[in-house]
Amino acid sequence: MNGLLAIYGKEMATYFRSPIAYFLISSFLLGTGYFFIYNVFSSGTATMDLTFRDMAFLLMILVPVLTMRIFSGEYSGRTMELLIALPINTWQIVLGKYLAAVTILVIMTVATFVNLIPMFLYGNPHLVNIICGYIGFILLGMASISIGLFFSALTQNQIVAALITLPTLLGFWWVGHLQNMQSNSFMQDFLGYIAFSLHYSELIRGLLRSEAVIYYLLVAATSIILTISYIKWRR
Amino acid sequence: MAPDLLDAYKKMNSSAISLKRISKRYGPKEIIHNLSFDVEPGEIVGFLGPNGAGKTTTMKMIAGTSTATSGTVRVAGFDMATQPEEGTKRLGYLPEHPPLYDILKVSGFLNFIANAKGIPRRLRKIELDKVVNACKLENVVESEIYKLSKGYRQRLGLAQALVGDPEVLLLDEPTAGLDPGQIQETREVIRKFGTNHAVLLSTHILTEVTLICSRVAIINQGKLLAIDSPEGLQKALEETSTVGLVTSGNSTSIQEELSNLDNVLSISAKTDKSNRTKITCHVESDDNIESEIARIVIKKGNLFSLNRQSPSLENVFLRYIKESKDLRNTN
Repeated sequence: MNGLLAIYGKEMATYFRSPIAYFLISSFLLGTGYFFIYNVFSSGTATMDLTFRDMAFLLMILVPVLTMRIFSGEYSGRTMELLIALPINTWQIVLGKYLAAVTILVIMTVATFVNLIPMFLYGNPHLVNIICGYIGFILLGMASISIGLFFSALTQNQIVAALITLPTLLGFWWVGHLQNMQSNSFMQDFLGYIAFSLHYSELIRGLLRSEAVIYYLLVAATSIILTISYIKWRR
Repeated sequence: MAPDLLDAYKKMNSSAISLKRISKRYGPKEIIHNLSFDVEPGEIVGFLGPNGAGKTTTMKMIAGTSTATSGTVRVAGFDMATQPEEGTKRLGYLPEHPPLYDILKVSGFLNFIANAKGIPRRLRKIELDKVVNACKLENVVESEIYKLSKGYRQRLGLAQALVGDPEVLLLDEPTAGLDPGQIQETREVIRKFGTNHAVLLSTHILTEVTLICSRVAIINQGKLLAIDSPEGLQKALEETSTVGLVTSGNSTSIQEELSNLDNVLSISAKTDKSNRTKITCHVESDDNIESEIARIVIKKGNLFSLNRQSPSLENVFLRYIKESKDLRNTN
């Protein structure tokens, strides 16, 4: 547990001593603020549905920036050797880093609560929808970060890590569109199940189903286990 | 037997570092062949070899950052393949390039290391003050690491290895990039640490080895060529050492008489303007040879100086490297 906390603390210090955290949080807030004003004021309805959709899309673009340095930076800075020679388990290294990235995601998410103030002041929004939407957003973020984490472990070049993560995330988002082109019903179900977007649209409509929650957590767990195995194998 | 008792028992019978027939392959290429040696607590072992000899690879395998293809690596009695956490707990490692997080402050970095090594909070400050003092980092504790000079980076690298007072210290070229004053200070730190811990340090500075190491391991092409004390290695080559003398006597007749001695292998002479002759004899090891030579020379004229030249460690090193190459060529 010591090792996990040490890694977590070091990662958080790295995020906040460099511009990464400030850049991510401010650009996410700016983007979300713009979409919120555009969606709410142009439609005149007090819902977050459209804003959640735009937030998810913004997240797909920002996650590679958040995750690209996680392991690539350690490889290129030759500090990975230090981490492995310290009395810390590989799973503690990976989990500590993952939790730090998720913390940044949570800070980004909580910062958008500011949008809810005028909504509750001047409108009558559905609280359940908003809670489900935020749960969905965090779950989507957790799955996306784990994928970025895995790709970052594969290469020592941060740009390459980001450039593989982005299309992969967009692929998971859009794969649902292929559903209509399949004649096979198994393939239809399968594509519908693996698409990030279809589970997410259920959640932002206020439908909290275990299937969606399990799916996102499964993606996160799989990527984390793959990352741990890869780092162990790499020695 | 209870597991902790068993561990303690194992530890009592084990060296601080123990390599048993380790090999490392990258694809078809074998980088390390069948390397075996031990490092005991309280000794500093120098790891000597030309660039690309396999020093860093061996260090990595001991530190657990790389695994051996075959053979076993034990640190303080713990197998690094099956119990890496126990091994790394007792190990301080300074890789070839000091692994530092440029963005952190020196104090923040050392705190991270102390946390990772599981040093209790109440002891942390004392422990960190100790290594900061030992490595002379007091002036830069609150600086960001990217601002440090090369010498400070190297010393911070050493400081992180010393945190937690590990039983075993692995140093890959610890004095690289330091100025002469810093080199001396660093050697002092290592020497002090080495009195009650086990230290393995790789270097290609030969004087460093003679100054601080109690034993030297010479490796080339992934093979251990020799392991002994610096003096022992020199002695091994002394069998054919040279005796030099300066005399005023007739050089031809002296040469003739000297060549009749059994233990003299070859003689060369050079007479200078002041009519003094400098004679160099290659001799086989014999404790009496100097006095016999002196007796002959004195009969023929004045003897101004006589001395036996032992091979320098540099010659020892070059000789071993050359022998290993010759052997490879004949194979």
